[in-house]
Amino acid sequence: MTRLVVVSAGLSDPSSTRLLADRLSEATVRALGTPVDLEVVELRPLAHAIADHLLSGFPPEPLADAITAVERADAVIAVTPVFTASYSGLFKSFLDVLPQGALAGTPVLVAATAGTARHSLVIEHALRPVFAYLRAVVVPTGVFAASEDFAHPALAERVERAAGELAALLGAGTRDGVRRPADAPRSFDEQVAEPTPFEELLKRASAAD
Amino acid sequence: MSSMQIGVFSVGDVTADPTTGRTPSEHERVKAQVAIAQKAEDIGLDVFATGEHHNPPFISSNPTATMAYIGAKTERIVLSTATTLITTTDPVLIAEDYAKIQHLLDGRVDLMMGRGNTGPVYPWFGKDIRQGINLAIENYALLRRLWSEDVVDWEGRFRTPLQGYTSTPRPLDGVAPFVWHGSIRSPEIAEQAAFYGDGFFHNHIFWPASHTQQMVNFYRQRFEHYGHGAADQAIVGLGGQFFMRERSQDAVREFRPYFDHAPVYGGGPSLEDFSRQTPLTVGSPQQVLERTLSFREYVGDYQRQLFLIDHAGLPLKTVLEQLDLLGEILPAMRAGFEEGRPAHVPDAPTHAARVAAAGGAHDSTVHAVDGVTGQLAEADERASA
Repeated sequence: MTRLVVVSAGLSDPSSTRLLADRLSEATVRALGTPVDLEVVELRPLAHAIADHLLSGFPPEPLADAITAVERADAVIAVTPVFTASYSGLFKSFLDVLPQGALAGTPVLVAATAGTARHSLVIEHALRPVFAYLRAVVVPTGVFAASEDFAHPALAERVERAAGELAALLGAGTRDGVRRPADAPRSFDEQVAEPTPFEELLKRASAAD
Repeated sequence: MSSMQIGVFSVGDVTADPTTGRTPSEHERVKAQVAIAQKAEDIGLDVFATGEHHNPPFISSNPTATMAYIGAKTERIVLSTATTLITTTDPVLIAEDYAKIQHLLDGRVDLMMGRGNTGPVYPWFGKDIRQGINLAIENYALLRRLWSEDVVDWEGRFRTPLQGYTSTPRPLDGVAPFVWHGSIRSPEIAEQAAFYGDGFFHNHIFWPASHTQQMVNFYRQRFEHYGHGAADQAIVGLGGQFFMRERSQDAVREFRPYFDHAPVYGGGPSLEDFSRQTPLTVGSPQQVLERTLSFREYVGDYQRQLFLIDHAGLPLKTVLEQLDLLGEILPAMRAGFEEGRPAHVPDAPTHAARVAAAGGAHDSTVHAVDGVTGQLAEADERASA
């Protein structure tokens, strides 16, 4: 079962960000044609928990679950509204509290919504660099939707294309078996489940750079 | 000696009292740590541990000077650290300094290794924070050799090589100070503690119980894996944090401004949320007693419980009152920790017990070799006698 996690940073309810996220996830499920375990992480109800995590250093329960979902995802669809010429602060704060390596090797579809088409390059100048830093595999097509795009058939075409790319990237299998880079930092749970023997840690400690 | 050691650990922060706006001077704070340690001994606690920091607003640089001074003014309490920076401190100096106070305090000393989380401290001491784990592992491997071998030849990655080096004084009675390793979130450090059969201390106070449980259980399993005993015989220490008054509502009312403005979590979760998510207990002595005794439910029977009580701008007078209240519940706390504790769970490590386990004390003095004859000076004397 493919674990698909949708992260939506829209602030209103209903939000056009969530609307776009739903269209992307539906299209991805269709394109995959296999059973999908779909989980939507709405950031708005987690906003206080995210701020608490930034200040206290640990995630309150519902946020811990959301982080685990992202860590274990085979693929992620990340959608943010554009605020002040970039992704929203809440969206970035969520990325900031993800453990190191959480998205390494994970296929990600990035999308954004805005009030005006003038922000359309936000995908390229803001979202792609941050996911490149997180070592995610971002699909070639990013989906940007200004308010007016919701009345245009071209949006549907773009959604289908991006979803198709994500499905194709996932086609070979799941992240754990196939795409995870060998040197990606191991999560806390992975380290505890399969510890690095101390002799190896000792050898590594004194190994030359 | 009791099977369970109970004590306090102090970070040594200079923080304004949010209720009065008054900030203590460094001098007041340095002396306050001494007063707190003396009071800890007076009420019957077993351990006082000081932190180590190299930046404002902390007064906790040079922990061994603090320990030696407190040691001279006390008789019984064990002096320890929480933590000694194994990453940025030269392990050769750690070997010398802690062996020295071991002699001065007749063995009333142990220490806890930590990596330190203040970014700039690493470059200030010529180190790279990204090598934190590697520094902790290599430096400690050297430290152990300096204590266990009289003459050390050594070459590593982070420090200049040693040829024919003898760390002096040698450990008291030939037994090095007991070492705890502290880590909140790094399995590598729990692995290190387990590998050597050393103690593992979880700070506990900033994280949910489930997380502490996961780290401690991991350490226990690896302790068994490396053949030091059963998992429940591993040596575990925990942090804890409380504020108490006879009536719980008074405790909450008095502590809230300190919590809300605390440098570590101020502006974050509410006091109520944080109390639920972490071991922080603000309430009556009975509530503190019950909460503390419940820690065993998720980490098993353990050996050392340290409480953080002097931080966030709490005035010395209040801290001393907290110790009086702790003193009142201390007998019940000790009895509670004894209840149901299996006989095969080891007692908290002490110098005396470790010396006995090593087959008794032996003088480990290394005598200088005569540069001309290549013989020990006293051998020469014997020969000429």
